[in-house]
Amino acid sequence: MSIEKGTISSQQLLFLMAGFVQGSVLLIDFTVGITEHQTWMVILAGLAIAAPVVFSYVVLAKRFPGMNLVQINDMVYGRFLGKAISIYYIFFFMMTLSFNIRDVGELYITFLMPDTPFIFLLIVFTATCAYAVTKGIEVLARVSHLFVVTGMLVITSTFTLLTSQMDFSNFLPLFELPFIRMFQGIHIVSAIPFGETVAFLMIMGCLNKTEHAVKSTFFGLLIGAVSLLIVAVRNTAVLGRTQAIWTAPSFQTIRLIDIGTVLTRMDFLIGIAQTILIFLKCSILFYVLAVALSHLLGLKSYLPLVLPIAGIEVIIAATVFQSPVDHAMITQNAGIIYSAPLIFIFPPLSLLIANIRGLPKNGKG
Amino acid sequence: MIFLILIYAFIFLINVPGLIKRKEWRELTAFSILYVIAFTLGLMYVLDIPIPSPMKGLQHLIVDILGIEYPQG
Repeated sequence: MSIEKGTISSQQLLFLMAGFVQGSVLLIDFTVGITEHQTWMVILAGLAIAAPVVFSYVVLAKRFPGMNLVQINDMVYGRFLGKAISIYYIFFFMMTLSFNIRDVGELYITFLMPDTPFIFLLIVFTATCAYAVTKGIEVLARVSHLFVVTGMLVITSTFTLLTSQMDFSNFLPLFELPFIRMFQGIHIVSAIPFGETVAFLMIMGCLNKTEHAVKSTFFGLLIGAVSLLIVAVRNTAVLGRTQAIWTAPSFQTIRLIDIGTVLTRMDFLIGIAQTILIFLKCSILFYVLAVALSHLLGLKSYLPLVLPIAGIEVIIAATVFQSPVDHAMITQNAGIIYSAPLIFIFPPLSLLIANIRGLPKNGKG
Repeated sequence: MIFLILIYAFIFLINVPGLIKRKEWRELTAFSILYVIAFTLGLMYVLDIPIPSPMKGLQHLIVDILGIEYPQG
């Protein structure tokens, strides 16, 4: 039984993946405080570590065509353990979605609309995502390229406009930070922008053809990683060591754009790009959460769950952290540790078990 | 408070009649449970009743009880 009737092409998967990773561009600020001017290295190392893990997601999805994560867990681990692992995943999707909704609220309340009530921003944003989710994954996939192109355009144009203010000696000295801080930074990057793509195990079952899934996933991941890298290089080259003291280094960097006193105050560009990219990421996570929960409960449709989930997510987003500092502190420790088994252990383990047990067996898959 | 009740009345009206008409009892049950949880959380937020954070609980479990933590500074 499949709840989602829509299908997506490999090319649409590529843009969904790229947009999803780009949606985390604001979250590299969590790493900047730890890895400072070596953030660019951490992004490359994080990509190198996450790539084989993401590869295991695609291979798993190709091994169980037309099935999603909840169905794969049931088949690989059995009914009870499979359900328990699926509940763990659902908790992860729920928390990740609430953090991203909160990020949008914090972005607006801190930089763009400080006088607007926080809860109002969360409600409006979540309601928009809920509307997108009711339209299905096919509609989201069809517009995803627009979001990715807009994001890339903003990132590259701001990089170009800031070239005159860049000082590449800000990257020196190399390999200055202690190993443990680099390790933590790599863990954050491999878990948050790249590892969260485990959510795509709920979507890859909708692929009309799985032949090009590996190529599309990797190109999508690469576009996202390049976007993160451009932002990290831009922020370090412009702000240098001071980037670690700003709440949002990207905003601070963009505020420095001054081309002949005409092109100034360009931070609204980051606001627009961030909003649409996080919107895509949140919509994907919301869709994944609704479908996973519906599968777990054995429902015929995920649509009746969308609005109650939206209501729960708004309140969790509003209350889960006390401040942006609290948000960063918890994410840098417990946030990335509790999700590690879901991202790095269960998918490769499922693949191994499926290989040993010869799953899916004929007639079951 | 009034907004909360209006929003939840709206959610109820656009979901429940269709579910009853199509006799989707399982979906109605799942919807009702999530609806009650969402409304309760909303009510607690509006009435300023502290809502326990799941991440605080996780932080306590991972850092304080299991002692897994990255060194600070």
